[in-house]
Amino acid sequence: MTPDQMPQTGGYMAAAYIAAAVLLVAYTIILWRRGAAKAKR
Amino acid sequence: MTLVQRGRWVTVVSLLLLGGIYVRALVYTPTEIHQGLAQKIYYVHVPSAWSAMLAMGLMGVASILFLFLKDPRYDRFAAASAEVGTAFSLVMLTTGPLWAKPIWGTWWTWDARLTLTLMMFFMFVGYLVLRGAVSEPGLRARYSAVLGICGLVLLPFIHLSVYLFRTLHPAPIVLKPSAPSAPPAMVITLLSSFAVFTLLYIGFVMQRYAIGERSDDA
Amino acid sequence: MRHAWLVARKDLYLEFRSRTAITSALVFTALVLVVFEYGRDPTAVPTIALAPSILWVTFSFAGMLTLNRAFNAELENQALEGLLLAPISRTSLFWGKLVANLAFVAVVQVTGLLLFILFFDVPVWRVWAPLLTVMILATVGFIAVGTLFSAMVVRTRFAELMLPVLLLPFLLPPLIAAAEVTTMLLGGRPLSEVSGWLRLLAAYDVAFVTLATLLFPATVTE
Repeated sequence: MTPDQMPQTGGYMAAAYIAAAVLLVAYTIILWRRGAAKAKR
Repeated sequence: MTLVQRGRWVTVVSLLLLGGIYVRALVYTPTEIHQGLAQKIYYVHVPSAWSAMLAMGLMGVASILFLFLKDPRYDRFAAASAEVGTAFSLVMLTTGPLWAKPIWGTWWTWDARLTLTLMMFFMFVGYLVLRGAVSEPGLRARYSAVLGICGLVLLPFIHLSVYLFRTLHPAPIVLKPSAPSAPPAMVITLLSSFAVFTLLYIGFVMQRYAIGERSDDA
Repeated sequence: MRHAWLVARKDLYLEFRSRTAITSALVFTALVLVVFEYGRDPTAVPTIALAPSILWVTFSFAGMLTLNRAFNAELENQALEGLLLAPISRTSLFWGKLVANLAFVAVVQVTGLLLFILFFDVPVWRVWAPLLTVMILATVGFIAVGTLFSAMVVRTRFAELMLPVLLLPFLLPPLIAAAEVTTMLLGGRPLSEVSGWLRLLAAYDVAFVTLATLLFPATVTE
């Protein structure tokens, strides 16, 4: 296969990388806020 | 520094390193020619699966230790690991189908690995649901430990049964996503990603454990 | 062990007295079979292709109904509290429940199988022994886990929902193996091919019956 015959699958890659980043950052934020809430007591 | 603060540091550092992995995977690692860019999902999907399995394994071990030693810290750790495992499972279950669709032509297939990952997710969710449904801490800890141990023992059986099934009914997959003869650059990216995801697991669990400690609502 | 048998007899006796659970289980089984029969196009799909799925959907429902029945009986009568006060070991208690559940599900499954043979023209007689073996092996595994979990969920909120949710992953290996073996048996495959699956089922049973026996006391300790 030559490079120009390579399947154009970049969209999926972008979606996956973005989804993973969003999920991990979201969980980080969730934990951060729960940690802060506990400390205020 | 409190545990929460140390956990946060570890997490932030890991996320920054993850950014580094992203750059490395996207820019500095060669693209696999048969799958195109989608192959790079591998560098995120496989390590997240590893973190999820690590979470499940440690949750199981902590459950066993809790039943024998009755120390609530093990229960707290198991609960933390379960929640973190759920997060990684979600990453795994999102990135997996996004990779499968362009490569295998379908979002999902009931092969050994995918079925196992889905069942792991259900087990994490079941574990958290069980904890949510029992208010008395001692009872909750014991029940969770029972479930955790059963879950751990179950994993090899799920793998075996689906694997056995699939060797009899080979799925029409021509491309093997885990390219065995990968160039060194790819291997290094993958291994670095494993390290970062492990560190991220540690950071998350530290925070979650600390949260459980303070509220004792684990 | 005598205590276990007494516990089992108590459960089964209660069951025969009321007969509601077993009746509903049998009616449900018959319904499933009827739906499958009328839901297919006889010219397009031969029964034998569907047979394993039909059988195992029916059998798994039988299992879930059994566990639900046992668990509802606990809830209503608070029987568990009473039994815990009795001078019997936790292990005997578990085995008593397990035996009662197995007996109940066996009745429903055998009836289901007979109804299946009646409704569908599938040659089961040639392979009745291995078929019965796989039925027993698969069922024992998930009923053991189900009995253990029932004891736990009884004291939780949303108990009736919890049991299937928790049990789902544990049903997978027995059902995959059972469906596969049934397909092979009805398709006339040689027994040697089936042996690998039967060993997997047996290993699963040994692992989980042992585990459930060991863990049951932890679920009922005060």
